[in-house]
Amino acid sequence: MIELENVSFAYAGEEPCIHGVDLRVAAGECVVFIGRSGNGKTTLTRLINGLAPYYYEGTLSGKLRIGGTDLAEIPQWERAKQIGCVFQDPRSQFFSAELAGEVAFGCENLGFSVQEIRDRTDGVIRTMGLDALRNTPLDRLSSGEKQKVAIASARAAGPRIFTFDEPTANLDEESAGQLSETLAELKRQGHTLVVAEHRLSWLMELADRFLYVDGGRLVREFSPRELALLSAGEAARIGLRRPCKTEPPLLPAADCRTGAAAEARRVCCTVGRKTIFRDIDFSASPGEVVAVTGRNGTGKTTFAKILCGLRRESGGSVLFSGKRLPPGRRRERVFYSANDTNTQFFTPSVEEEVLLLLPRREKELERARETLRRLGLYEYRTRHPATLSGGQKQRLSLACGVLSGRELLIFDEPTSGLDGGNMKIISDMLKQEAENGKTVLVITHDAELMEACCTHIFQMGGYRPGR
Amino acid sequence: MEKKKAGFAVAARLCVFAATLAGVFLTDGTDRTWIIAAMLFCVLAAQKAWKQCAGFAVFYGILSLLLYLIRFHGLRMAAFSEFHVFLFWWLTPVFMAAWNLVSAPPGMLSAFFARVHAPTGAILGLLVIFRFFPTMRAELHGLRESMHNRGLTGPAQVLRRPGNTFEYILVPMLLRCLQISDQLAVSAAARGIDTPGPRHSYYEQKLRVRDILAAALYAGAILVFLLIGGVK
Repeated sequence: MIELENVSFAYAGEEPCIHGVDLRVAAGECVVFIGRSGNGKTTLTRLINGLAPYYYEGTLSGKLRIGGTDLAEIPQWERAKQIGCVFQDPRSQFFSAELAGEVAFGCENLGFSVQEIRDRTDGVIRTMGLDALRNTPLDRLSSGEKQKVAIASARAAGPRIFTFDEPTANLDEESAGQLSETLAELKRQGHTLVVAEHRLSWLMELADRFLYVDGGRLVREFSPRELALLSAGEAARIGLRRPCKTEPPLLPAADCRTGAAAEARRVCCTVGRKTIFRDIDFSASPGEVVAVTGRNGTGKTTFAKILCGLRRESGGSVLFSGKRLPPGRRRERVFYSANDTNTQFFTPSVEEEVLLLLPRREKELERARETLRRLGLYEYRTRHPATLSGGQKQRLSLACGVLSGRELLIFDEPTSGLDGGNMKIISDMLKQEAENGKTVLVITHDAELMEACCTHIFQMGGYRPGR
Repeated sequence: MEKKKAGFAVAARLCVFAATLAGVFLTDGTDRTWIIAAMLFCVLAAQKAWKQCAGFAVFYGILSLLLYLIRFHGLRMAAFSEFHVFLFWWLTPVFMAAWNLVSAPPGMLSAFFARVHAPTGAILGLLVIFRFFPTMRAELHGLRESMHNRGLTGPAQVLRRPGNTFEYILVPMLLRCLQISDQLAVSAAARGIDTPGPRHSYYEQKLRVRDILAAALYAGAILVFLLIGGVK
């Protein structure tokens, strides 16, 4: 179905990033590109779906065939009929505000008749169980639902091949599980699936092969069984996340303890008539890294925003060192790093960003340099933050938090979409900051991160027994 | 599809909008534009757009009350003069008709423009504009929170360095605009936007009797309004 013969590629004005790749993917097969960030996984999916060099311009050499036909001979709009694309962030690929319009968009472009557009759109919506979402604006859907809409939208045009570029980067464990079921259904129907991904556990039952990409080359092939047998040390060495599902570690619960640095007592949050959560009792002290976890929609981010003063609680109180503080004063003590890093940076360079509003004394400058080095950002210090990759932006946000000098640091899903190496850098930094006397809260579904650095756990939407 | 059936077709909404513009801007008796507003409330009610109806009723009611108090009881306000209040009161029918037009589902609008053979680029531009505002609203919300979080919204910071504050808002927003437009363009390319040939739509529908009737009744009523009330 897909054949790559000695394929090399370089983006316009850049060094080659793919070198001599040979690959054959059979019809109905599920192949997963794995490996560290920035080694060519995404580019390989772009080459297969034709967006490189059609949209992402560059120099392509070698042969790339889809169904026996040279891809260069197929116009892009014709490829859109054969290959469905699902990207990392579904929000930014929606053209319509509502479900049917979005799912139909591809069919409308491809010149299908009105009846065919309706049949395909309604059929896919029904098949994928999305009927209940017809009247819900897409902006209000959960991340998992948005990803499902993106797949429905790609599926409506009837492609035989699907490419997925880090489809779980913004999903929690449960949504990733649902995505796995959706892909399994596509596979059962004989579709060919090509996935570039860091999180591996949700693909273990699904994938036929895992191809390790390093330096733009396919350097190793794993069967799911071989990948599962990879030791934790070996997986970490080659920058992979743990292939098997990791259970969150048993940690002491961070419920209310008098005299803690930060406390929430019977905190409630209501929006209109809807109660997001009520009677939250929580505490955290210097030296602790608290994992705030729970299913999507239980209000983890809202709770974090209340703690840091970006939202006002509807009831209860938030105390710092035993004193109740209004939201404005809390902001002086707490740094909050949102999951979406796109609107977090304000200056033209990485070094300016970490020094924003800080005194430019030699001591601070040296600390900033050291932090950037530890987070692997020093070589990017003159780059504009907007030009960094997702993982680099997450690390920059962490650097800003660390250098802010605030006593409580909150990070919202800092490892979503990151490879094993980046996860380790972040977990080491969080641990280090706690050892330096900071109180750290990390909203996460990432059991590997919890295992690596968290000392306490706070489960939203129901407690689980602590040790 | 069922829910969309209560709304008029885009052509009927366009006709209502054009007739409203003619009625509001050509009439000799600007004080009588309340008749047009009343007709538009009927148009919205016929489409079961109760939320829009209620919103505009409150807005128009407050403006009417203020205008009455200014004119007959000498009310004076610090921020708004009679001119401002009257301007908004007079233009409310235009806002209502415009809102009625742009609140049609984007798919329905693109289908209409495809049927009148508008270029694909223009249709795509229209869809992007419709996505732009909700997306940018979410981005602005995130930006405001980040500014609060980084301490960039304190009065001292804003007053001492207003230029920097402006830059902190403008530059990230412009960059996000570029990123979002790039991601949308990739999405469009991957979904066959450049396919040659005719384009149809999920929401494509022929004009129904009720659409023709509504447009004709409304345009006729505006004509009568202008004939009786006089034209400038």
